[in-house]
Amino acid sequence: MRPYELSLAAAADAIRARRVSPVELVDSVLDRIEQVEPHLRAYVTVTAERARRSAREAEREAAAGRFRSPLHGIPVGLKDLIDVAGTATTASSRVRAGHRAETDSAVAARLTAAGAVLVGKTHTHEFAYGLTTPQTHNAWDRDRVAGGSSGGSAVAVAAGTATFALGTDTGGSIRVPAALNGVVGLKPTYGLVPRHGVTSLSWSLDHVGPITRTVEDAALVLPVLTGHAPGDPAGLPNHRPPSEGDLSGLRIGVPRNYYFDRVGPDVEAAVRRAIDRLEALGARLVEVEIPMTRYIQAIQWGLMVPEATAYHEKALRDTAGLYAADVRILLEAGALMTAGDYLRAQRARTLMRQAWARMLQEVDVIAAPAVPATAVRAGEDSLTWPDGTVESVSDAYVRLSAPANITGVPSLSLPVGRDRQGMPIGMQLLGRPFGEASLLRVGHAYERTEPARELAPAV
Amino acid sequence: MSATELTPPEAARWAARAGLPLAGDRHGQVAVIADHIHSVVSVLRELDFGDTPPAIAYRMGEENHDAAV
Repeated sequence: MRPYELSLAAAADAIRARRVSPVELVDSVLDRIEQVEPHLRAYVTVTAERARRSAREAEREAAAGRFRSPLHGIPVGLKDLIDVAGTATTASSRVRAGHRAETDSAVAARLTAAGAVLVGKTHTHEFAYGLTTPQTHNAWDRDRVAGGSSGGSAVAVAAGTATFALGTDTGGSIRVPAALNGVVGLKPTYGLVPRHGVTSLSWSLDHVGPITRTVEDAALVLPVLTGHAPGDPAGLPNHRPPSEGDLSGLRIGVPRNYYFDRVGPDVEAAVRRAIDRLEALGARLVEVEIPMTRYIQAIQWGLMVPEATAYHEKALRDTAGLYAADVRILLEAGALMTAGDYLRAQRARTLMRQAWARMLQEVDVIAAPAVPATAVRAGEDSLTWPDGTVESVSDAYVRLSAPANITGVPSLSLPVGRDRQGMPIGMQLLGRPFGEASLLRVGHAYERTEPARELAPAV
Repeated sequence: MSATELTPPEAARWAARAGLPLAGDRHGQVAVIADHIHSVVSVLRELDFGDTPPAIAYRMGEENHDAAV
């Protein structure tokens, strides 16, 4: 196995055992980038020189027996909304031409302190305001969308051009591309991971989180992002999820409404099979009724649309012509929403959060499809469901993600199979606020029942 | 057209009042998208909010930009 093919957990073990050096790992990932990046376009910028320098430093420390964390010497890609001092945060937009971040974002600083090696900044749908990331190609089929908005991050992880990556998620932007490219995406609890230095789409809904090859890898990244230093005597000695796969005593909620409505047949079958597997591991399945589903899209839009417009207010007045057409029109139209509509969305968010808290007293975790459909062909705008309804691709991709953004509950997307075209399918596990450990435990238990996943072909 | 739908000149006037002057060729498109957004969010008017406060958090003394639950 070549170093770029290693999961984060396997690479961390290899580095600690001195079987692989950080320099070898980073060189291998940079070679892989050279080989497949022309087909994928996951990166805005590859920081090869900086990466090699960091890898040499990590190697010197390793030779001296110093390992900063499980991320020591591990190559990472950052969505290009995340500030890194001295580099541009382009947001994949012409509006940001000439940009240079003066300081590190909180998450970039924590990753650097933990020894992670930045290999580059990854593409986003412009300013995270979209679900396809049109510059980037799906890692499994170049003619299909990457998903978004953290499309570059998910494609890089799927193709082996980053060992892990960070994304942001306002309406599914970590989980959607993770599901569409067959990797793991974790949207943590609202507020758990600091957003300082990360370009905002919507303050009420934005989250930062990891995109990884495995659930175990996500469990290794999360404590670094939340600031739990591995060397801290008060910190957890081992962040890996428990290795036994027994889920006895765990109650897993299976939605009887919403999450399985208007979902592709292959997606539904794969997710239901995965849920059966969780039951076979000892979990008790409990039907749950998802509350307030009629208002989910209204709340999501009522919060996101005016907040995005507010963030871009000055640039819209000065340089509106530099935005892509799809993003510009949404930003402009957002100026016409009234404060009354915005406040109704904020008050409805309170109601929905309370209703979800009541539902989550009955179960420990909810299992559902992450995205109703797999990756569509580039240029396809809409989906037609068997009931005859037509839905835009972006509405469909957001639909099952938005509840976790509105309520703030953590949500983990993990691969559970592929459709008949070979495109990856994701299952979503949702939990109580700050219940990430339960999601990681269930996701890891599921993964242990499956053979190790291969990297995407990426050519 | 319903009584609440915006005409292009109304969209231009609303945008200007909101502080965003729109170029003339934008009025029609912006009116269409603003109407669509309005149709999605106006369903929230069905809810009885009672004393429910908005979910916007303000914590005295917090100066950083991190999110807060």
